[in-house]
Amino acid sequence: MTERADGIVCPSCQHVNLPGTLFCLQCGTYLPSGGPLRTEQFPDQHLQRAKPRNGDVAQDEEPALGIEIEVLRTHRKVLLSADSEILVGRLDAAHGVFPELDLTADSGLEHGISRRHARLYTRHGKWYIEDLDSTNGTFVNEERLTAYLPYSIGDGDTLTLGTLRLRINLQGDLPDASPW
Amino acid sequence: MKAKATIAPEKDYYAALGLQPTTTLEELKRVYRDLARQHHPDVSGGDAEVFRCIQEAYEVLRDPVLRQAYDRQRAARGLGREAPLECTLTLSSLQLVASDAPQMLYALLDLRPRPAVVKQRLPLNLALVIDRSTSMQGARIGNVKLAALNLFEGLSEHDRLAVIAFSDHAEVVADSTSVRQIASLRSAVANLTTGGGTEILQGLRAGLEQVRRFADRTSNNHVVLLTDGRTYGDEETCLVEARQAQSENIGISTLGIGDDWNDLFLDALARHGGGMCQYISSPAQLQDLLLQHIRGLSQVTLNRLALNVNLPPWVQLQAAFRAAPFMELLDAKPGCPFSLGQVGEEPLSLLIELVVHQPDAGERRVARLDFEGLASDGFVTLRRDVLIQFVAQAFEMPEVPGRLLNTLSRLSIFRLQERAWQVLEQGDVRQATHLLESAATRLFEIGHRELGQVALVEAERVQQGIAPTSRGRKQVRYGTRALIRS
Repeated sequence: MTERADGIVCPSCQHVNLPGTLFCLQCGTYLPSGGPLRTEQFPDQHLQRAKPRNGDVAQDEEPALGIEIEVLRTHRKVLLSADSEILVGRLDAAHGVFPELDLTADSGLEHGISRRHARLYTRHGKWYIEDLDSTNGTFVNEERLTAYLPYSIGDGDTLTLGTLRLRINLQGDLPDASPW
Repeated sequence: MKAKATIAPEKDYYAALGLQPTTTLEELKRVYRDLARQHHPDVSGGDAEVFRCIQEAYEVLRDPVLRQAYDRQRAARGLGREAPLECTLTLSSLQLVASDAPQMLYALLDLRPRPAVVKQRLPLNLALVIDRSTSMQGARIGNVKLAALNLFEGLSEHDRLAVIAFSDHAEVVADSTSVRQIASLRSAVANLTTGGGTEILQGLRAGLEQVRRFADRTSNNHVVLLTDGRTYGDEETCLVEARQAQSENIGISTLGIGDDWNDLFLDALARHGGGMCQYISSPAQLQDLLLQHIRGLSQVTLNRLALNVNLPPWVQLQAAFRAAPFMELLDAKPGCPFSLGQVGEEPLSLLIELVVHQPDAGERRVARLDFEGLASDGFVTLRRDVLIQFVAQAFEMPEVPGRLLNTLSRLSIFRLQERAWQVLEQGDVRQATHLLESAATRLFEIGHRELGQVALVEAERVQQGIAPTSRGRKQVRYGTRALIRS
């Protein structure tokens, strides 16, 4: 297992490459150019995403505290938890961008999605979206957002990122007491 | 007063100043002054290290006694008749952490003929071997004829050209006389008719026979095979002929027209023959590509270039690739020279992947690269050592040179799709789909949408259990291998 620790784990396909490898041998992903023993340096979100949290098991019976986002073009639905901020964009391992909602597979590039396009988060039981000065902008129900200005969103709202349309589906009632 | 210069025969002082070993003192002084002004550490864009190298080279070469001693010492080391190539070595890192665990090191080599040598091209001794089987009928043979006729115009009086047409037998349409008899060549080509099957061995043998008549080391001896079909049963013999030809300094390149030819076979034939294989997807492209190809051949300055990679026991050769003018996995084993074919006007780039396993600190030679090639006046050599500083402490990795990254990113796409076809052959549909999709994603990323789209369509077919289209497969294979060029 030490050998694993000495390698670079590809963020896309989990293939373990030798230290110093620049492009994953398995899938061609550009790996962060780390020297030996630098595997652990992937951003925290990425590592968290990879392993399920133990605390969640007990809550399965409860209505999930989260947000469901549907990509209208492909009908892909992604359920995201509210307990940390959600980055929406395109995965780019080279620049350390690991969005919680990665739109690469939804032809994100063709739809003008930026790597760091927008972020979603909850405050006091409400959901907010903030455009991260993306190249092609973020729209809520056809209204363009000012970059870095949070905008509250509700159930059934349509988000347009670049030219890709997403629908928001809030999961159940959010309790007033937020997890933080 | 400056200390007396010491001679380091392993360094190429001439190359450091961009000069020929025949340079005059006057030229030397002029070039030094210009370079020194440019690289002096006090000027903006100056570089102390570069400046030091220039200065060191100049200190030795300006002194007639030192220069003579330097030249003699280099000759004694076998470095004297250095190949007329400029060789640039780019490493993914100049430093590595001394570590118990193996790590990757990438070395990119760019070789191009020295500007002064470009004019000393070798005269052509060429055979054009044309497939005249039934499938060539119409636009294909028409365009071949036009291309061949245009070709004659571009040849110089020192060049030789034979034209062979083949189907299930071969016919020498025009034998290997000097191109001065252009009128007979013209009418012979214009009157070519189609009919019969495709037996490549017949055509290849007839072509080689013509080239052999005048083959010597002062000319570029080459067979160009144009075909649109598959040959059956004689593939192995063709490859044997190609290897034999290569040992006689005769090269072979192949041009596949349309979508029905066997890409793996024509690739192999060109590889054994030290040439390249090209895909001609539409008749309209044929003229341009053939002319371009012959022009490339006419720019060759060095033949039968081979590289020997020598490694210490703690270094393994993971893979070696040609990156430009076209991509190819090289059949490289350490300690044993492998062929790189010819060097023409277009730079030759190689990428070498090494797995380094060095637990002790200090400067070490990771690899010694020995090139040998055949110039018009005999064998020439070139030696490059790959030196790495192993350090005990982890350090902040400097940025990887952009050119290396660029080359690697394209090479990794080429590799993904080549592996895809390979695993598909072995029946692994899931893996093949995944590899093709990955290749498509990377192609989109670098802006090659059309090619990415083709790869995606083929990935979908493969996923559904349908064989990839012959056209799509060729577009992806030959499109990705040309990514560095564009």
